[in-house]
Amino acid sequence: MIDRTDSFEVLMRQSQNGDQQAYASLLKQTSLFLHTFLANRLRYTNEVDDLLQEILISIHKARHTYDSNRPYKPWVYAIAKFRLQDYLRAHYSDQLRQAIDLEDIEENFQESVTETAISFESISGEIKKLPEKQAAILQLMHQEGYTAKEIAEKMGMNESAVKVAAHRAYKLLRKKLEK
Amino acid sequence: MSNIDNLITRLAQDEIRVKTAPHPFILSLQWMGAAGIYLAVSLTLFGLRPDLLEKFHSVWFVAEIGVLLGILIVTSISAALLAFPDLYQKRNLALAPAWMLALFLLTLFLAWRADNPLIPLPVHSFECTLGITVMSLLPTVWIFSSMRRYASTHYRLAGSVALLSAFSVGALWLRLHEVNDSIVHVIKWHYLPMLAIGIIGLWLGQRVLKW
Repeated sequence: MIDRTDSFEVLMRQSQNGDQQAYASLLKQTSLFLHTFLANRLRYTNEVDDLLQEILISIHKARHTYDSNRPYKPWVYAIAKFRLQDYLRAHYSDQLRQAIDLEDIEENFQESVTETAISFESISGEIKKLPEKQAAILQLMHQEGYTAKEIAEKMGMNESAVKVAAHRAYKLLRKKLEK
Repeated sequence: MSNIDNLITRLAQDEIRVKTAPHPFILSLQWMGAAGIYLAVSLTLFGLRPDLLEKFHSVWFVAEIGVLLGILIVTSISAALLAFPDLYQKRNLALAPAWMLALFLLTLFLAWRADNPLIPLPVHSFECTLGITVMSLLPTVWIFSSMRRYASTHYRLAGSVALLSAFSVGALWLRLHEVNDSIVHVIKWHYLPMLAIGIIGLWLGQRVLKW
């Protein structure tokens, strides 16, 4: 356990000289405090883990830019914040990309996205070939009887996003079944 | 956390001995040294303006060259600091080009005010911008390829400052080579395009320096 403030710097210096054990120990300690840093800023555990892995890889790639005469933590946090901002930027722009113009789905507002004349079991083979998220939504809706709202909560999505994904899945299925 | 542990094990098994990056001041000195050599060679090839010694008696010309040289030095240091993730923990110095640019604009403004009676504009125009751009290409390639070896977390700003640094070499070359005393022309066709190119650097930094 690291109990001296300069230990990170010492470990990094040893790592830069090729000490693998020191490097593993340093990354382990770093991952602990970065986990807390990320957990305070992100909602889901899987996001925290994914981003933490990315940050550790970035630290590995940029390790030659660290000068052991300087404190270690500001250097690490600079990389962590950079990757976090990158992640959030990509996350929000992805959400914007997936947002659909209301006009595009206006015609489907009257249609119920939770009901269909075809039974789930009769087309389950085709459903399995759908993208993972869409297949999961259809399975929850039609086999397990969840509402769009419940699925949204379960999958960490917006209700409207669930409905849109379901709508897209129906479109794909319709195309496949018409062939 | 098992994924994290696996990753740490894999990273630690990698070749971890590294050659550490030079101090950013050394890095910027290398860039400035190369810029100095490049400037000397290009001025030898294309020639100095014949009235240069005489021009060094003009306060505003000396001030302009001095501030331009200052921009080259400060942007080189700043670009070197910006190439490091934590700006080498010298944030104020990394942002110093803003002060230098303010001083540059003030100098140009005062030189323009002092340009009375107005010196007639030369017949050429955009050729100067083109000349500065061509002369700046090599320093641009060199500084960007050098910065790519590090890990900038402010890649847009780094790109902008690096491009300003490279273009200040081109601007210096033209000012020492071309016989031209019209400050209006110099502002319009030398320095405004140079500052505009700094904005292109924001885009270039994102394309080239992102890692």
